[in-house]
Amino acid sequence: MTNRLSAAAAGVLAAASGVAAAELFAAATRPGAAPLIAVGGAIIDATPTPIKEFAVRELGTNDKPALLTGIALALALFAAATGIAAQWRRPLLPAGVAVLGAAGAVAARSRPTATWFDAVPALLAALIAGAVLLWLLRQLSKAAVESGVAKGSGAAEESGAAEESGAARELRAAEERPSLVRSAEPGRPSLKVAEGGPSPRKAADRRAFLRAAALVAGAAIVVEAGARGVTRARAGAAGRNRAAVKLPPAAEPAEPLPGGVAPGFTTPAGTFYRVDTALTVPRIDPSSWRLKIHGMIGREATMSLDDLLGRSLIERDVTLNCVSNEVGGPYIGTARWLGVPLGPLLRELGLDPRADQIVARSTEGMTIGTPVTTALDGRDTMLVVGMNGAPLPLEHGFPVRMLTPGLYGYAGACKWLDEIELTRFDRFDAYWVKRGWARVGTVRTASRIDLPKPFARLNEGTVTVAGVAWAQRRGIDRVEVSVDGGPWQRADLLPVPSVDTWVQWRYRWRATKGPHSIKVRATDGTGSVQPEARATPFPSGATGRHTITVTVL
Amino acid sequence: MRATKLTAVAAATIFSISLAACGSSDDSTSSSAPSMMPTTAAPSMAPSTDAMMANFGAGCSAVPADASNKGSFQAMAQVPVATAASGNPLLSTLVSAVKKAGLVDSLNSADGITVFAPTDDAFKAIPKATLDKVLADKKTLTSILTYHVVPGKLTPADLAGDHKTLQGDDLMVSGSGQDFKVDGKASVICGNVQTANANVYIIDSVLMPKS
Repeated sequence: MTNRLSAAAAGVLAAASGVAAAELFAAATRPGAAPLIAVGGAIIDATPTPIKEFAVRELGTNDKPALLTGIALALALFAAATGIAAQWRRPLLPAGVAVLGAAGAVAARSRPTATWFDAVPALLAALIAGAVLLWLLRQLSKAAVESGVAKGSGAAEESGAAEESGAARELRAAEERPSLVRSAEPGRPSLKVAEGGPSPRKAADRRAFLRAAALVAGAAIVVEAGARGVTRARAGAAGRNRAAVKLPPAAEPAEPLPGGVAPGFTTPAGTFYRVDTALTVPRIDPSSWRLKIHGMIGREATMSLDDLLGRSLIERDVTLNCVSNEVGGPYIGTARWLGVPLGPLLRELGLDPRADQIVARSTEGMTIGTPVTTALDGRDTMLVVGMNGAPLPLEHGFPVRMLTPGLYGYAGACKWLDEIELTRFDRFDAYWVKRGWARVGTVRTASRIDLPKPFARLNEGTVTVAGVAWAQRRGIDRVEVSVDGGPWQRADLLPVPSVDTWVQWRYRWRATKGPHSIKVRATDGTGSVQPEARATPFPSGATGRHTITVTVL
Repeated sequence: MRATKLTAVAAATIFSISLAACGSSDDSTSSSAPSMMPTTAAPSMAPSTDAMMANFGAGCSAVPADASNKGSFQAMAQVPVATAASGNPLLSTLVSAVKKAGLVDSLNSADGITVFAPTDDAFKAIPKATLDKVLADKKTLTSILTYHVVPGKLTPADLAGDHKTLQGDDLMVSGSGQDFKVDGKASVICGNVQTANANVYIIDSVLMPKS
């Protein structure tokens, strides 16, 4: 082994021990702040969607492990370089370590839910890596110094000499020459190099370095094992287990989206809005997950995920929106959901006809109350296991959430579901109902202008005004646009798969110079026109017609 | 002053944690403002703490500290800017002007903007007859209001300098640190207030476009 290889190894080992310590610290305090995970998350955040989609397509569910492996390799390379650089010039040690620590800390802080605390593990990693590297390099220097003093003639290095590369030989030659660099090093006497090769004494010191290195490696492995143990104990192996869930094909697959649907019809899971009260995303081990169905039902049941996946599954495109969305707001999305229809399951178990409320409970205590009728009236109320062709993402309720077409999320789409109780509205108020929100959250007919953007500056001529309108279960019959309070003009509606999704609309506007306001309204399948009067989202959803201001130049 | 604010921040944060705790146990009836907050846009706890740490200025003390109050920094950070302003007791004249001009949705659904928000006192400095005339003239009103809005979220670090407003003219911010003036006359009395889609700088005088 050469000095340069040893220094590189020292760098890698130091980084490994630093990261291991940080993983342990993070596992015990804030799992999301573990440096590799945080860097991975930051990279995912910064990666443009098409590339992410490419990665997911090409690597499937291995995209995350591939990313983490890539990060670990990059870290190892940088650490090796730091080791070599630091051996050459000691001040490069803190510099290299600081770069790594800062990169980790910045990545951790950039995460959407980050606090200052998230930077701690990365800084801890840097501190420990720095200290370990310094110690290892000192062991290495000792070996080098001793070898310099005790060099005899002709003795072959006992091991590793044969594999020594040309570059390494060059380096060693350079190192064995007395040099300004070396003599300038504080705490390291300038080398009085005698002629000749290494001695048994040097080999002994090499062994001391190797022992130190082995000690560090062992410690890093033990600490890392500890970190993994803590993580498993704390969180289960949810992420890995999600990847392992194999979704069976739907007995009733969704039809392909109709031709003529514009891009953006389906919302990727990654950009699908998330409104919930969970401060940390529940990580549920699907193998131990159980759904308990009880209350006013003939036969109580406890079902595993496999029990659910063994039933006949349906797949549907459904738009889901949040009651707290302001007029024109972003908390709405459309996904292709795979799930178990709830109605047949409840009928099988013998539904008590007096029950009028389904109370869904999540693992973190959320309760959501939904009318029993919505499970029985033919709509696709379901226990969702898949979203857009993949197991439900952790943030969207893995392993199972509920979905009730036509109801706002707070009233029909409990995430991280683990209990369904059949009861009555006069016996139990769910979480948001206790806080004053409407008992039954039926979605209101609404529409939104997505293009042009508010305050846009446009060129004179034809401008495409476009957006979405929705009234799940009732469907959209008509969308109209009014410019500057003028007459309502009908917009073109693009095709839809069913009444349960939003409708994309488009209107060609001949824009004239000056400031303009553009307003939209929708009419649903029952003939009701979206109300003009403004209502706040509380307690039963916002009303009002989305109006934006633009300037035509 | 800063110590007081830090205390308020700490109190508000602890309060929000206790609210969250109620949420999980699901056995209490809360009478506080019901809130259903987006987790991605504004996770209920951590980032709003950051936001609160970040705002500055003597005028901030007039903002309610109770996190359950619609006008608190905590609550404003969760909702889009026009909705946030409507919960703030300092900004009621501005809010009614924005409504009159029909700019509520545009402000709420804009993708990242900076709003210089004159207080009620700032509007009071304008003679009543003039103000009434402006409020009745939608075109002038829109021009004045959009002159108070700059595209992009300006942090205190990018605040100083010339910025093109949505009205079209540039406005000029001078100063540094926590001491800024807009167009040489309006002082920022409470800066870097976070809302879901805008950074807000509350100012003590109404700005006027040059054109």
